[in-house]
Amino acid sequence: MIVKEFRELLRDRRTLGLLVGLPLILLVIFGYAANFYVDHVSAAVVGPQAEHVAASLPDLFEVETVDADATEADARDLLRDDEVDVAVVTGGATPTALIDGSNLFAAQTILGAVNATGGKIEPEVLYNPDLTTAWVMVPAIIGLILTFIGTIVTSIGLVREREAGTLEQLAVMPIKPGTVILGKIAPYFLLAAIDMIVVTVLGMLLFDVPFNGNVLVFALGAAIFLFAVLGIGVFISTISQTAGQAIQSAFFVLLPQILLSGMIFPLDAMAAGVRWIGYILPLTYFTKISQGVMLRGAGIDSLWPSFVVLTVMAVVIFTAATLRFRRDLAPERKARA
Amino acid sequence: MTAQGAGMTFGVEDVSVTFGDTTALRGVTVEVPAGTVVAVVGGDGAGKTTLLRTLVREVIPDAGSVSAPAKAELGFLPASSGCWAALTVAQNLDFAAGAYGLTGVERDERRTELLAAADLTAAADRLASQLSGGMRRKLGFLMAIVHGPRLVVLDEPSTGVDPVSRIDLWRLIAQEAASGAAVVMSTTYLDEAERAGHLVVLDGGEVLVQGSYDEVRGSFVGTVTRAPTPVRDQWSWRRGHDRHEYWPDDDAPADREVVAPDLEDIVIASSLARRLAGAHA
Amino acid sequence: MSAALQAEGVTRRFGHFTAVSDVSMEVGQGEVVGLLGANGAGKTTLMRMLLGLLPVSGGAVTMLGGPPNRERRRRVGYVPQNLGLYRDLTLADNLDFVSETYGMPVTSLPDDLLPYAKVLVGAMPLGAQRQAAFVAALSHGPELVLLDEPTSGVDALARARRWDTIRAQSDEGVGVLVTTHYMQEAQQCDRLLLMSHGELVAQGSEDDVVGGTRALSVRTDDWSATFAALNAAGVPVILDGRAVRVADTDPARVREILAAAGIDGTIEPVPATIEERMLVLARA
Repeated sequence: MIVKEFRELLRDRRTLGLLVGLPLILLVIFGYAANFYVDHVSAAVVGPQAEHVAASLPDLFEVETVDADATEADARDLLRDDEVDVAVVTGGATPTALIDGSNLFAAQTILGAVNATGGKIEPEVLYNPDLTTAWVMVPAIIGLILTFIGTIVTSIGLVREREAGTLEQLAVMPIKPGTVILGKIAPYFLLAAIDMIVVTVLGMLLFDVPFNGNVLVFALGAAIFLFAVLGIGVFISTISQTAGQAIQSAFFVLLPQILLSGMIFPLDAMAAGVRWIGYILPLTYFTKISQGVMLRGAGIDSLWPSFVVLTVMAVVIFTAATLRFRRDLAPERKARA
Repeated sequence: MTAQGAGMTFGVEDVSVTFGDTTALRGVTVEVPAGTVVAVVGGDGAGKTTLLRTLVREVIPDAGSVSAPAKAELGFLPASSGCWAALTVAQNLDFAAGAYGLTGVERDERRTELLAAADLTAAADRLASQLSGGMRRKLGFLMAIVHGPRLVVLDEPSTGVDPVSRIDLWRLIAQEAASGAAVVMSTTYLDEAERAGHLVVLDGGEVLVQGSYDEVRGSFVGTVTRAPTPVRDQWSWRRGHDRHEYWPDDDAPADREVVAPDLEDIVIASSLARRLAGAHA
Repeated sequence: MSAALQAEGVTRRFGHFTAVSDVSMEVGQGEVVGLLGANGAGKTTLMRMLLGLLPVSGGAVTMLGGPPNRERRRRVGYVPQNLGLYRDLTLADNLDFVSETYGMPVTSLPDDLLPYAKVLVGAMPLGAQRQAAFVAALSHGPELVLLDEPTSGVDALARARRWDTIRAQSDEGVGVLVTTHYMQEAQQCDRLLLMSHGELVAQGSEDDVVGGTRALSVRTDDWSATFAALNAAGVPVILDGRAVRVADTDPARVREILAAAGIDGTIEPVPATIEERMLVLARA
């Protein structure tokens, strides 16, 4: 029995990959990515004493902008647009450090450093005054749920067709391939959209997470993101013969997104060698959008880079997935053995 | 449904199909006239499925031509289940009807009519996954003819199906042909092939014999003998307690009992001749 | 030990439903017995009881001289419908597994299967898969063999070759029980058993199984009109080339239907087939 089971296992590449590859990946990720300690934060200093205060800031603060003419309003804008992690406003009795509460770990580190100055600088945490973890996590989890539905549920739904042999049926009926794809994806799109609304509302109700920004911007970001993950789901279905394989592949895609999208471990704190993975994951960009809109009230003017990246991703993935799917529905040419 | 006599003849002519290094079909010509049931016989790997898929244009041949109507007038039952397991019988039929443009009252009437003809009315609200193999094939068949196609192509509709459901299915198939459709089906059951108006025997991608049962028997060359032990082992096969033996050149020893070959004898003899070609003295 | 396999008054109930009712049959040594029946007739349930995989509600099963148990099953070969081979292992690996399980040396492959030794079973053509399943099941020299639809989907020549193997076994005294939907295969058996709705309704030769079923062959100039008319009248019709066969119906009734449709033709009685008997049983 043991020998047989081993032989079967050795042929199942996907399961092997999961058993052998995944622990290795997890080890590497945890080694290089898992880092709650931020060793530098980006800072801006504004106000009349900007130069002087900038020089006296602890090493933690990497001062990027010193602008004596900028006002507190300008400083708040910088924070809202995620240009810096902390903006120190000078000109009053004591300088005030406006801290971006949506960047949790940076904020905690900054708060610690500021309090350690012994009152020389007054801290004020924006967007997430109590530094509640839930406020930062819920926007990220919304994205995670969309990713889950998009990849796993969609891929299973499509693979079922292949498993049952009914894909062949569809190929002979006078239905255009585009219609088939649309018909198959629409329910999942709707489902994911409803799920997203429910989770967002629940998150706001249960954890008092604010929604400071524009709902339409949020919805647009979500829609584009959904296309990207649905595309991944369709793609997985074209490379899987069974639902089991689909789930395994989806898992491979899902796990890095959980660990490396900045949801749990801050991107800035990751070693560069691992951080680049985070930059190619769709969830990373949606999290930026959802956190920006919900907590900071940021708009398209500052979030547009994330939108652009997401759109490009969605277009590329979806096109690739659709082309592969069409091949399953189209007549076979002799080249395939 | 077209009236008899007004139908076209569909089919493939001199068609060859290769997949990589494998030749699935070589120079195959099969005609499927309206109002006829054509049975394509052959074992696994003979090319039956490839032939049918070429006819419905799911596979593009390397050579030869295909004569088949447009998708809207074509009905296909693939070798796999053909129906959606998570839908009920009625829902499956409705989906197929919708795909072919049947809606509303027309669709409802057609569904009632077909379910009654196939004796599936009682199971209309049962999930397809809970049907027996025979009932599932019947449902798949109904889905293939829901729009009254001129050409009906069925890939092994009765393989693995119990005898009673097979007779039911055969009745439905014959009814379609009787109404003027051109029907072609593949089968491994020789008794079904015998009952078809026209049969085609495929082996290794080529046509071994073709015609009505009488024509096939008439054109058979050679003799078949029966005895407990064969003279030439290679040319013999088991039949009950005896072995039948094929003599392509009619040179059987005089003391051997000659039998009138039935379709099974003809098919096996022709397969042997093809495989052992050039090897016999 | 007289019979290799024997069932006496075997019954199986599932709650209020009786799947098998009072079935008595036997498979003698060196005998090939065919088990026929429509879906739901109780064949599978009976097989499972014969193998000892399902307890009986009544009656008794005797397998190789005693009640079916794991010890006796070591001396039985079984080929289920799905072949019982691991599709994701090679042929050689499968045979290794079987030989280890039964504690027998690995069987050598017949010439036909040598090319497939290192091929995954799932990638082999169906005919070769079925042959491989046979080799695996017979490799431990069983005294009783049960085969579930052994040649479904296989071409005539390969079927004949499989029956060579089956006959070779029975010639050596092995008792063989085969379930099948193929009438051609039924004709290869020494004796037939026909089940319907849980009961054994006939056994013996093909004639015994056909029983008193009547059949008529109707020949006319217009087979499709004939067929349509008879079908519409609800009579059990079977298309047969250009003729139409009718089972279990009075010639007078057939003549009546044809006359009403304005069709002229000949009606002659012909020997009925096993399927026609099964059709009549199903309609009852």
